[in-house]
Amino acid sequence: MSMAAQTFGGQRSVNLGFAVLIIALYIFLLVPVVTIVGASLTDGLMIEFPPRGLSLRWYQEFFARQDLVDGLLMSLRIGAITAVVTSTVAMMAALAGQGLSGRLSGLFQLGMTLPLLVPELLTAVGLLFFLYKIELGKTVTGLQFGHILMSFPYAYVSISAALRQVPPSLEEASASLGATGWQTFRLVILPLVMPGLAMGAIFAFINSFDLYTISLLLKPLGGNTLPLALFDFLTYEFKPTAAAAATISILLSIGGVALVQKLVGLQRAF
Amino acid sequence: MTTVEVKNLRKSYDDFLALDGVSLTAETGQLVTLLGPSGCGKSTTLRCLAGFHEPNGGDILVDGESILNVPSNRRKFGVVFQNYALFPHMTVAENIGYGLRLQKRSKGEIETRVFDVMKLVRLTGLEDRLPREISGGQQQRVALARALVLKPRLLLLDEPLANLDARLRDEVRWLIRDLQQQSGITAFYVTHDQSEAMAMSDMVAVMKAGRVAQFATPREIYQKPSERYVADFTGEANFLTAQRVQPVAEGRYSVHVAGADIEVEGVPGLLKNAAAELLLRPESLTLVTTGDTATFEGEVIKCAFLGASLHCEIALPEGGRLKLTAPPNHEVGAGDRVGIAIDLSHAWLMPEVAP
Ligand SMILES: Nc1ncnc2c1ncn2[C@@H]1O[C@H](COP(=O)(O)OP(=O)(O)OP(=O)(O)O)[C@@H](O)[C@H]1O
Ligand SMILES: [Mg+2]
Repeated sequence: MSMAAQTFGGQRSVNLGFAVLIIALYIFLLVPVVTIVGASLTDGLMIEFPPRGLSLRWYQEFFARQDLVDGLLMSLRIGAITAVVTSTVAMMAALAGQGLSGRLSGLFQLGMTLPLLVPELLTAVGLLFFLYKIELGKTVTGLQFGHILMSFPYAYVSISAALRQVPPSLEEASASLGATGWQTFRLVILPLVMPGLAMGAIFAFINSFDLYTISLLLKPLGGNTLPLALFDFLTYEFKPTAAAAATISILLSIGGVALVQKLVGLQRAF
Repeated sequence: MTTVEVKNLRKSYDDFLALDGVSLTAETGQLVTLLGPSGCGKSTTLRCLAGFHEPNGGDILVDGESILNVPSNRRKFGVVFQNYALFPHMTVAENIGYGLRLQKRSKGEIETRVFDVMKLVRLTGLEDRLPREISGGQQQRVALARALVLKPRLLLLDEPLANLDARLRDEVRWLIRDLQQQSGITAFYVTHDQSEAMAMSDMVAVMKAGRVAQFATPREIYQKPSERYVADFTGEANFLTAQRVQPVAEGRYSVHVAGADIEVEGVPGLLKNAAAELLLRPESLTLVTTGDTATFEGEVIKCAFLGASLHCEIALPEGGRLKLTAPPNHEVGAGDRVGIAIDLSHAWLMPEVAP
């Protein structure tokens, strides 16, 4: 048997192993989604899979519950503000970080992603004390702060990755053709990083929508985010309403990604 | 109408000295080439001119005025990059019209000027393509058009042909030279290809480790190099150690080389008995079989038949080797004893390293 044939055989078994791994990964990722969506469509009284009959009654029930709908609206509002603020600030931070050299740039990156590295609970506790100090404890503004802080790294990573793809020579070319810094940003940089910027905003939104620990600690008086409201709900009732709420969250995420796809094209976002 | 004077330019990156006193001049309409091996500071010089780097010392005068305090977006220099640096999200026409758009020109004016310059660089018909939808040669012509459409005071080109294949390189090279001469724009051109530098420049600066080793016309650089480094970098060269250097007139010396006493031209100012080398370009050597016209005699080490010519290497009895090109119908082979005639008017005496 020749070397080439052996290599080829080896190559094939590697490819096969890889395919199996990918399929396993997909199953692993999709099983919870399929289960929860299936369970939300049940006609029975319990969260179960496969669903017992098909109906949309638990969606009706969800929208009839004021506490859950309020939670959804609050999460949407906080998420939207988080997305806008983090992506704007992250864009500026990424531009600032670009000019740094070697070691300084590494430290800067680390600083910008610190909220990812510190356990969420610690950040939450620290923030709680801090917010009380500045008299924002138990307020929606305080909670909004927390969400922006926790979601910032997602926006930053996505945007700075997009910015790194823009060759420095484009900026130089633009300057040599007479553009000011602002003109270069608006006409060259921004259009080129737009997919990454949009993706960063979506990541920040989804992350904010999903935050639990920090929301629990910074929970404003008389207000709940959807995850908190859901958890309260599940403490007393184990009804498929929760599955319906989860499905709505999933649809919102898919909707967000689809929107980016439609607006700027997902392939270009990565 | 632009003259440029680079005076004793110095630039360091952190603690590495990239430019160690570069001085150059360019007269109106001249194309000045910066030639040298990788890392000698060609791009750094050009980037200081463009305003992308701030030099640590020295000055750059354009039409007699220092431009060091003028930011790159107000220098009105056209820059052409090795990697083209086209804006990938803009069409060819938008790329070329970018500078005019920044100047807030009317739509009509932009359209006509873009159209005209596209005709000039033979890109007509590609207006609506994106950069990734055209070939490398076309992309480089877009980059050229984008710079030229603004009628820059100075054109700066950093290895504009390096990413093109040999055939395209020739085509774009002549296009650049023609346009530059037609429009009378002063230009600086960076390359590490000596034949490119020879063919298209008015003046060549051969750079060596952050300095200019020689700044002269292509002919002078080739025929009268200031030191061995320059001769080596500008083409095939033979060097023989010269002994008993004796000045006989300004720039003329009698020397003893490989057993023969000859009189040659050389770098002015060499002292009596100075350490020097004789440069013999292969084309100034001729193979001869009879002894009477020969200056040297030697033994053929190898001979390669290349069809149109014969490339031979010959060892001299006193030490030293000579490479030369002979007509193909010479019948010589390894081990043969041959004579070599030198065209003495093209031999050149120079120091190994310039003082
Ligand atoms: N941004 C930088 N930081 C540190 N050192 C640099 C930087 N840019 C260039 N250098 C160094 O300065 C020297 C000159 O660089 P330059 O780019 O001018 O060379 P070059 O002559 O253009 O070479 P090449 O033909 O490879 O493009 C090199 O030794 C290079 O390593
Ligand atoms: Mg270079």
